[in-house]
Amino acid sequence: MHPYRGRVTEPPKTAEPAPAPGPAQGPAPGTPAAESPPRTPAAVRRRATLAGTAVSVLLILAIVFGSRLLRDFDSALLPYAVATVFLAFGVAYRYTVWISAPGARRLFKQGRRSFFSAANFRKAPTALPKMTATYLGFQKFLGARSHARWAAHQLVFWGCLLAAAITFPLTWGWFTFTSSTGSGPGYEMRIWGFKIIEFDALSVLGWLMFHGLDIAAVLVIAGAAYFLWRRMRDRGAVTGQRFAYDLVPLIALVVVSVTGLLLTFSSIFLHGGGYEFLAILHMVSVVFTLIYIPFGKFFHIVQRPAAVGMQLFKYTSRRKDGEALACRRCHEPIDTAPYVENLRGTMRDLDLGFDEWAEYCPRCKRVLRGNAYLDHVKKGF
Amino acid sequence: MTATDPATTPGQPVPLDPSLAPPGTRNFRDAGGIPADRWHADQNGETLVPTHCCFCGVQCGMYLRVDRGGKVFGVEPRNHDINRMRLCPKGINAYQQVNHPDRLTAPLMRRNRDEEFREVSWDEALDHTVAEIRRIQDEYGNDAFGLLGGASLYSEKTYLVGKFARVALKTRHVDYNGRLCMVSAAGANKLAFGIDRAGNPFSDILLTDCLLIAGSNVGECFPVMTQYLWGARDRGATLIVVDPRETAIARTADIHVALKPGTDSAFFNAVLHVVVAEGLTDEAYLAAHATGWEEVRKTVADYPPARSARICGVPAEQIVQVARMFAGAGKAMAWHARGVEHHSQGVENCLSIINLCAATGNIGRPGAGYGTITGQGNGQGGREHGQKSDLLPGGRSITNPEHRRQICEIWGIDESELPPAGTSMMEMVWQMQRKEIRGLVGICNNPFVSLPHYATVKDGYDTLQFHAQFDFFLSETAANAHVVFPVTVWAEDEGVMANAEARVVKHNKAQEPPAGVRTDTWVICELARRLGAGGKFDFPDSRSVFEELRVASAGTVNDYYGITYERLEETGGIAWPCPSTDHPGTPRLFEDGRTYHPDGAIHLQVVEWHPPMDPYSEEYPLSLTTGRTVAHFLSGNQTRRLGALVEQTPRPWVEVHPSHGFRNGDPVRVVTRRGSEVFPALVTEAIRPDTVFVPYHWPVPTAANALTIDALDPRSKIPEYKVCAARIEAAPHIDEVPAPPTAPGQQAYPETQVSRTDPLPPTSPQGRGTSERS
Amino acid sequence: MMGRTIFIDPGRCIGCQACVSACRECDSHRGKSMIHLDYPDEGRSVASFPTVCMHCEDPVAPCAEVCPADAILVTADGVVQQADTTRCIGCANCVNACPFGVPKIDLQAKLQMKCNLCYDRTAYGLAPMCATVCPTGALFYGTLEELQAERPGVQVADSFTFGSTTVTTGVAMVVPADKVQWPVPGGLPVVEINGKDVR
Repeated sequence: MHPYRGRVTEPPKTAEPAPAPGPAQGPAPGTPAAESPPRTPAAVRRRATLAGTAVSVLLILAIVFGSRLLRDFDSALLPYAVATVFLAFGVAYRYTVWISAPGARRLFKQGRRSFFSAANFRKAPTALPKMTATYLGFQKFLGARSHARWAAHQLVFWGCLLAAAITFPLTWGWFTFTSSTGSGPGYEMRIWGFKIIEFDALSVLGWLMFHGLDIAAVLVIAGAAYFLWRRMRDRGAVTGQRFAYDLVPLIALVVVSVTGLLLTFSSIFLHGGGYEFLAILHMVSVVFTLIYIPFGKFFHIVQRPAAVGMQLFKYTSRRKDGEALACRRCHEPIDTAPYVENLRGTMRDLDLGFDEWAEYCPRCKRVLRGNAYLDHVKKGF
Repeated sequence: MTATDPATTPGQPVPLDPSLAPPGTRNFRDAGGIPADRWHADQNGETLVPTHCCFCGVQCGMYLRVDRGGKVFGVEPRNHDINRMRLCPKGINAYQQVNHPDRLTAPLMRRNRDEEFREVSWDEALDHTVAEIRRIQDEYGNDAFGLLGGASLYSEKTYLVGKFARVALKTRHVDYNGRLCMVSAAGANKLAFGIDRAGNPFSDILLTDCLLIAGSNVGECFPVMTQYLWGARDRGATLIVVDPRETAIARTADIHVALKPGTDSAFFNAVLHVVVAEGLTDEAYLAAHATGWEEVRKTVADYPPARSARICGVPAEQIVQVARMFAGAGKAMAWHARGVEHHSQGVENCLSIINLCAATGNIGRPGAGYGTITGQGNGQGGREHGQKSDLLPGGRSITNPEHRRQICEIWGIDESELPPAGTSMMEMVWQMQRKEIRGLVGICNNPFVSLPHYATVKDGYDTLQFHAQFDFFLSETAANAHVVFPVTVWAEDEGVMANAEARVVKHNKAQEPPAGVRTDTWVICELARRLGAGGKFDFPDSRSVFEELRVASAGTVNDYYGITYERLEETGGIAWPCPSTDHPGTPRLFEDGRTYHPDGAIHLQVVEWHPPMDPYSEEYPLSLTTGRTVAHFLSGNQTRRLGALVEQTPRPWVEVHPSHGFRNGDPVRVVTRRGSEVFPALVTEAIRPDTVFVPYHWPVPTAANALTIDALDPRSKIPEYKVCAARIEAAPHIDEVPAPPTAPGQQAYPETQVSRTDPLPPTSPQGRGTSERS
Repeated sequence: MMGRTIFIDPGRCIGCQACVSACRECDSHRGKSMIHLDYPDEGRSVASFPTVCMHCEDPVAPCAEVCPADAILVTADGVVQQADTTRCIGCANCVNACPFGVPKIDLQAKLQMKCNLCYDRTAYGLAPMCATVCPTGALFYGTLEELQAERPGVQVADSFTFGSTTVTTGVAMVVPADKVQWPVPGGLPVVEINGKDVR
């Protein structure tokens, strides 16, 4: 006897199909596809607000203490610092909401368990660093989608990472560059007031230190320009893209990078001509981009580490028993048993009353449904 | 329940990325051979060129997508009234032939078959060919050189094939591969109606009350035509399918007559017997419009249902049911295809169906009538304009002195110069064996896969002293030739085809041929010029040939005079006869009750059933029947190179009933008196226990036609593909499908061939399910 | 059921796989076919069964609900999109949760893919590729009125039962008039069908 037997006794509900609305209402190209209405419970919203507030407060404290009670804080960079605080709030809020949803929560827990498992670490100490390098650093999976897109994404990724590594500590007043010899060329770099290195501004190292952002900008412009070009030409990309979701982030990256480069250009070749205007334009674009991160396409930066958690979870459960759960009907492997159990839990959380169905492979689901249709609905024409 | 994980090997460490997902969800190998990351989807402009499919006789409209660089890169459905945007998998993938890496781009030549092909210049290939033609004809006479055409050529080119044979080669030996396809129906139509085409357009099917489909796997061989069958049923029509196999249309039919192969005329005679016995005949119609009814009535009296039920292996009640359903319907219609035509009594089988339609008065009315479904794209047009051994343009007979005189006048030759009637394609192969034909040019055909009894065919072709072939992919036949001319695919030239309704449609040119490739028209005219007949072959393009064809067909039954390229583009197709440029064409025949015989009557013919030519015995108790599958077309030279179609159906199989005790995938040897081959078994209840089926699109050692019999219908000379005696036995391992031949130094486009070596049969005759693909 | 949607009638399907080939020609996922074609009655008949995404309406898109990365979006008119390429982490939750067995996954690319009702075509007023080419009309795209105009008296159902759960979908299936008041069995063993006890 099958343990999961149901009854097909629904009241007549399809005899009179609802009147169909008029002609096609498909999304017009370029119009955003609306997300299904978020059903965020009040408790989650409270928790998210709390998390956002806590993270923002922590960041403010870190800024205050990291800049030696604002002694190293550059007040000209205040708008940037404020933007990062908003960013911190937004990311923490969105993150909390995100991992409160059943699917993410369960996978998050499993990932965390695998992550912090001492046994795991002993048995496969290299697994996590390797996965991190593959999925987050070199993003090998993008190569399987397209080699060109992988290359461009790497440019944007490393460019942004470099820029963030330089600018965030700067705006928070964590880094200071002071001339040890009055007006150069000898400089020393301090973090939280501690001297890290001394360098000559005219040396290669010095050039790199002062032009790190320009290098980042060049990387980002190259990558983002390729993506923009592709979004103009590639049939697959063109047919489905939405301006706010797909194009705005790229435009933002290009504007940030170009205005950043122009600032350097202005100070070197124009003796500061137009510097004020460019500085404001740059600041506005950066602030916009930072505030935008939790909402649009850029949120994938925050989400992507989940891929490592998921992979680590699957890897751990595979290594443990080495066997996969087989489809109940055709006995082909579906996935690891803990993964399927995790999925069934998620489905139960969501009141999807057919979690048992997860133990059948998709083909058997279709074949069983096909046979049920042939047997019970109609066999022929 | 657990299963051993395929991604891990015992003893090996688990890979960091343990790729695991259930079958059918994880791979995109079914991407038609284009790896997912290698498709370049860059927008580079797009023009839609309206044209038709190159494959079957339905001639679905389609647009080819052409980029700014002038290259065909895709297909878009076209709302042409034949197909109303619908396309089958072959049609959707057809465009991939155009810029396929396997294309031949230079003439290939060798002095004898022991040598490898080498690429040569056009001049060298043409000069060598002409020199060989001259040598053979000087030594052995003009008739020692033969020409074989094809029915996938545009009508213009089929016209040129016939004219080239008679005027440039001056040989009687010309025939074409429609001989393997359409000729039984053509013969029956000519005998009964005096005109060779379907009586009604497809759209009439929507108006009928009872539709009888005999020997046609419409769902697989003419998939887009299925919409007319279903459309008729939506409006309440009943469907009768006569087929030994339970095909996709038979599965849901009101009556499926699963008769034994080779017993069609016994069945239809019995149906007519019941119709007569129950007084369901339309005597008034017969009296007014038919001759020979008395003889037919007497003959069918000898076919009571009990007798035919025994012959056909079907219940007698079913015969009665069919008779009542068909004759009882207000408007009934019968369509048939190769299933009844590919027999040593193919013409008679067709005539027995015509007798049934005529006796019930179902001729020449909307929703009532009779038709044959042509197999090749130009199966209809290809037989009309003189590439058949006994016909001249306009469907004229080469034995009729008046017709000969007319054509000689048009061609400007002396009547004594026009050769007499030749022989049929299979007979020509026998003549090659007997060295009566010593040289051959083949255009648009692949007899090594498509003719029956491969051993004979191979022997015949090997005996030839010289053999040249026109092809765009190197076919199995071309790979055995001395000279191969690389010619255009359909999208690289323009021309007309006539579909199964005898509707002439216009194909348009979508891109320039690749460098080194010429049109068939150019090659034929160039050969003619070098043979000294250049003055009669001054055709720069298809249009100029069509203009001559129009004139050559004027005043005949197959009258194309009123059809012009411009009119075709305006109308989307015109059915001949169309005698003048203001004539709307003739979609439905016999509306005035008159046939094309001088007396205007239907000449009913007596049909007596006889058993198939290959006798059953203790040793060979089963019927082997052959046919097609939806993913492949004819000899497969085109479709076996298209990734998506190879993915769908990588290999042939033998369909057997479970009662033989085989399990799905078991290697099963099919043995006939002519040979044996091993196929994986597709065990299904959808076939008669006394019958096995093998699809024929593949070459030896997986060729159904290595097993079939080269027996011919005495009238139409069609081979008996659809039935021969066979037995099956267990075998140790299956025969593997060879790769399609390619030019020297090349290999068949590897991405398309990945699943060719799959040892399993498809999930179902229509192909492998999307989850069953490796 | 959506206004203009796909109607599936497996009774008309001839299993030719034109839909499978046509799906590959769609510009938004060129070269990759998202449609499934199964022969469920293997060994007994040539019956075939096409599966496109059913675009579940109630519960709305189980695939999207179980997605840990919020990668599957549902448009305002009920079309369940394929995974957003930037968000999908390739966990296959959707693949195994979908009651109809629809989503596919590219394990190397860590990307789910599925039928999106050809939004690139429907946005321009064209029918999805599969339903455009389907030689038999087993896949029909349009409104119910358009379907009934072509096939007089045809009835459809847009709910499916899996065990004790009923899923209502945006894509509907053709059912005989005498069975229109019951949901279509989804394949999980059931004890009662069309009001009859089948234990």
